[in-house]
Amino acid sequence: MKKKRYIIIGLLVFLLILASSVAVGQKTQNAALAEPVVVSPADKAAVETFEKQVKGYIALRNKVRENAPKLSKDSTPEQIQAYRTALELSLRNARPNAKRGEFFLPATADFIRRTLKTEFQGKDRKELREQIFETETQGVVLRVNYPYAQTAELSEMPATLLAKLPQLPKELRYRFVGRNMLLVDRESDVILDVMPDALP
Amino acid sequence: MRRTHHFLFAFLLSLILFTPAPAQKLNGHSAAPLKLTLPMKDGSVKFAVIGDTGSGTAQQREVGDMMIKYHTLFPFEFVLMMGDNMYGGEAPQDFQKKFAGPYRALLDNKVKFYATLGNHDQALQVNYENFNMNGKEYYKFKKGNVVFYSLNSNYMEKKQVQWLEDELGRETAEWKVMFFHHPPYSSAKKHGSDGQLREVVEPIFLKYGVDVVLTGHDHVYERIKPQKGIYYFVSGAGGKLRTGDIDRQSGITEKSYDRDLHFMLFEVAGDEMYFQAISRTGETIDSGMIKRK
Repeated sequence: MKKKRYIIIGLLVFLLILASSVAVGQKTQNAALAEPVVVSPADKAAVETFEKQVKGYIALRNKVRENAPKLSKDSTPEQIQAYRTALELSLRNARPNAKRGEFFLPATADFIRRTLKTEFQGKDRKELREQIFETETQGVVLRVNYPYAQTAELSEMPATLLAKLPQLPKELRYRFVGRNMLLVDRESDVILDVMPDALP
Repeated sequence: MRRTHHFLFAFLLSLILFTPAPAQKLNGHSAAPLKLTLPMKDGSVKFAVIGDTGSGTAQQREVGDMMIKYHTLFPFEFVLMMGDNMYGGEAPQDFQKKFAGPYRALLDNKVKFYATLGNHDQALQVNYENFNMNGKEYYKFKKGNVVFYSLNSNYMEKKQVQWLEDELGRETAEWKVMFFHHPPYSSAKKHGSDGQLREVVEPIFLKYGVDVVLTGHDHVYERIKPQKGIYYFVSGAGGKLRTGDIDRQSGITEKSYDRDLHFMLFEVAGDEMYFQAISRTGETIDSGMIKRK
């Protein structure tokens, strides 16, 4: 009788594990659609703070854009240049005290560094690291509130990593320059923050 | 004496008249006679492909010149650009030197260009009137029975992956063609196959029956052996060349070319897609037909 009960319990546990693994499998069938791995309340708070700061920046950016020349979907090179220059200057003027560490606060930076370490470990990620270090970024000055050099190459951001980092609105981008990680305004290419030695 | 003069005159005249004109030379290479291998069927979808073009060099312009010559034989309606549309600066004069100038004749012939972003391209190119990206980093458009998806492989974020899944999920076009910058498969030594990108996009391509994937990034031409039923091309030498970069031992190459710049022509007619890769000097370097599954 006792033996039978153990078998039933064992079967139930097995079915439970099987069902949960199927559910997880369905949710994350593509690695690029995975959720960020926020394991502790401290990480959660760090991500929330980061997202709040990003929101604040977007609000400021939207305000600044109201005064910049408009850019249509079929602009001339002259209109594109005028828009980029105006946006860059307006953003810089709107954040005169911008400095390193404004977005990548210690707790956020710690969470991101750990995420990068996990993502870049293992033999299969060796190629990925090499690819990032190969990117020709000569001429890029890591200066907050100033643009990324237009003549420099952009590092490809791994899709599986992007899925695990705090999500950004369409106006912002993560980017690597060597081992450093940047937060960049997509259209103006203004560097908003720099995390030195982010990559392991 | 008079007979000798007559003979000399006739000899010189025939020398002038019958000596073949020097072959047209492009930077030391003789131009090959134009030869079209595509069937030119009525109502077919005709387009060209160029990649990694924006160098602004004489060689890029020569590719543009060869494209307009072939356009007279094969009036392609549009051109897909595989990214790295502009190397270096992107001031108005760069747009002229690295794009509008080299392809002026095609633009004047109302040929439309559809671009994708490479790792040398600034984000605001999506707003450039001649790139037809409609302000978007990733987009799709249909021509006849073919749908073309342009992806931003520099930044394959969650939103883009989800968009791709959603759009492909409700796609009705017979042919599904992807084009983006980084090649999931490549035998080039400089960059080669982009494994992490492949990890993400290949399952989606397989799930939704993508037929053909066009890419650039490596400055060579390569037709990959079909991978899990999908045809991959690397066409990344429209303005830059990496001579001798193909690893001939990779085992994935069907046909490759790394001796000169090139462009490609495609024709889709019903269940058949014809392709022809042509060098800067007009030589056909590859051609064939893909039958839709």
